[in-house]
Amino acid sequence: MTKEIKTPNRLGPNPMIGQGLSRRDLLKSAGAVAALGAGLATGLVPARAKAASSLNFMCWEGYNGADIIVPFEKANDCTVSFDLIADSPGGFAKLAAGGYRDFDVVATDSPWVARMGPADLCDFIDQGEFQAEYDSFYDQFKAPFTPLEYEGKATGLPTRWGWVGPTVNTKFDKLETWSSYAPCFDPAYKDKICVLDWGDWPIMPMALYAGINPYKELDKAELEEIRKVLRALFKNTRAVVGDLSVAQKGLLDGSFRALIGGGTYCTSALRKDGHKEIMSIVPEPKNGLNQGIIWMEAAGLIKGSDNLDLAKKLVKRLVSPEVAVNLAWTEATCNLVPSKAAEDLFSAEQKDVLQMDYMWHAWDNSQFHDVAPNIDEMLEIWQQELAAAR
Amino acid sequence: MKRLRKSWRDPALILAVAPAGLLMTAFFVVPLVMTALLSFQGTKYYRLVWTWNLDVWSDVFSQAHYWTIMGRTVWMSGLCVALCVILGLPIAYAMATRLKSLENHITILIVFAFLTDAVLKTFGWVLFLDRTGVFNGMLTLVGFPPGATDLLFGPGATMIGMVYNLLPYTIFTIYLSMVRIDRDLILAAYDAGASKTRTFFEVTLPLARPGIYAGAILVFVLSLGVFLEPKVMGGGTSPMAAELIRQSFETRVNWPLGAALTLVVIGIGMVSLGLAALVVRNRLQGQDLQGQGGQV
Repeated sequence: MTKEIKTPNRLGPNPMIGQGLSRRDLLKSAGAVAALGAGLATGLVPARAKAASSLNFMCWEGYNGADIIVPFEKANDCTVSFDLIADSPGGFAKLAAGGYRDFDVVATDSPWVARMGPADLCDFIDQGEFQAEYDSFYDQFKAPFTPLEYEGKATGLPTRWGWVGPTVNTKFDKLETWSSYAPCFDPAYKDKICVLDWGDWPIMPMALYAGINPYKELDKAELEEIRKVLRALFKNTRAVVGDLSVAQKGLLDGSFRALIGGGTYCTSALRKDGHKEIMSIVPEPKNGLNQGIIWMEAAGLIKGSDNLDLAKKLVKRLVSPEVAVNLAWTEATCNLVPSKAAEDLFSAEQKDVLQMDYMWHAWDNSQFHDVAPNIDEMLEIWQQELAAAR
Repeated sequence: MKRLRKSWRDPALILAVAPAGLLMTAFFVVPLVMTALLSFQGTKYYRLVWTWNLDVWSDVFSQAHYWTIMGRTVWMSGLCVALCVILGLPIAYAMATRLKSLENHITILIVFAFLTDAVLKTFGWVLFLDRTGVFNGMLTLVGFPPGATDLLFGPGATMIGMVYNLLPYTIFTIYLSMVRIDRDLILAAYDAGASKTRTFFEVTLPLARPGIYAGAILVFVLSLGVFLEPKVMGGGTSPMAAELIRQSFETRVNWPLGAALTLVVIGIGMVSLGLAALVVRNRLQGQDLQGQGGQV
């Protein structure tokens, strides 16, 4: 017996049912369309380069510059496709979720390149094979470069770096005022502080100010201290911004007296445009704890690449002195590079913009931005305190 | 008039509905189901772990700050609906009646503003409302001290941005209701001795209600998901639900948590709309009963 399907609008049995289009036919059609859709969707995803002459490169904007990539493509008769990262954790999550099968090379923040080691996502760098590149670096970045190592093997090569410290407009404030993060909590600076909403970057300096090294395993009491210092920071904060241009505009017109959690990444483009009054510094050590943070980007090889040799060539190119200058000097940001050999290629003006005369002072007074064991707890505290800020 | 009725067993109807049905299934139902499944998983070392437990949900229901943000989101959305209706109603009324000759010009202007990229408009507001911005500059010209207002980077600025970006939805829905009102009903009210004000409140406004409700629903649902306004104009210190979800997915790389919070927002939206529908239905039933009583 066939069970009749009743609908509110039904006038009577439809003679077409069972003749023209059965439920099975309908399901078949739906399956076919779904399969077609899935096929189309798969086509939209960058599949790992199958031919020996192409590479898929996940990177920050700047690494995809024509002056960096086009000569490489010509020299190696290949094509390089990009997937630009909007944020490092998101890029890592994409790789970890299986996306690593689609990519050959990655250039992202160093803690995320370092995390590729334990996550089994990277093809380790053979230090002997990259010896010439290591030799061209400043001593601080030469092998063995521990921040990028996992079980004694290098997960990537450093490409760009800078420091996180207060970014100040010297038209409004003396640099000495910011030799400590104390003004962040000074009522005189209420509603004059801008915090960059850039993941863990603004959290780490506050932890350091509270006397806690956030790069070691933290206990409950230490996490509570970080909570207190963030709560106090948000009381004085005018804005927590993710957008660089809003932060830079406020700093230029004096509505923000300092940017916290950005450092050189938000300074040098302004200095490049002639605003030499804008500077990023690192505060003086407090209770024996360095208050600055060195951030770094790195390039790494992704596990299982079909074009490993070509991928290695691209990584070598990214750290070569001539490309290092291009990476350092982009439209949106200007940053330092680990290549000592590149130093002579910078003009005096470029060196001034990049605050090169200050870089080793910053290095000596900073912690290296590494994988923090309690980062999730700290980010949760950040979320909680921000929710309660106003 | 003979009413045309269609059966869901009509193959032509099934074929006509199939493409939309498949699209909705593939791009709405399936992702929603996947989101729901994701919320029962865990993360380890920034990687998804298929654990099938309620840890994330227990976290969501035990952490007060999630609900602080959800509560703020609902409050801001409700306020935005109220302001959009209050501002949209007179504009729609004017377009439908008093400014009929300028109706097309006004429509084009609103459509232009509506179609302009929200990012552009939002950043434009930053330049306008800043301490050193255009608004304070204009106030200085008329004698106020520099930086007389400090609207930017606060909930007030967020609300300005939300109302500005969402107002066209209420204007157009209310306007469409108003232009469909039979002019004879209004004239009949005048003939019966009703003043213009009374006619507006007893004839025009009740007949424009479907548009008001539709606009309110649209604005409320869209308000629940606003991201740019609290982040850019609000200064990020009063985060709303969309920012919380972004932080969970992007900054914390906790996809199960982000998925659970997404479902919470969807749930809040559905419950709010369900309650609103209930209230509207009760009111309409009340009106029907009143009308029947009057006829008796």
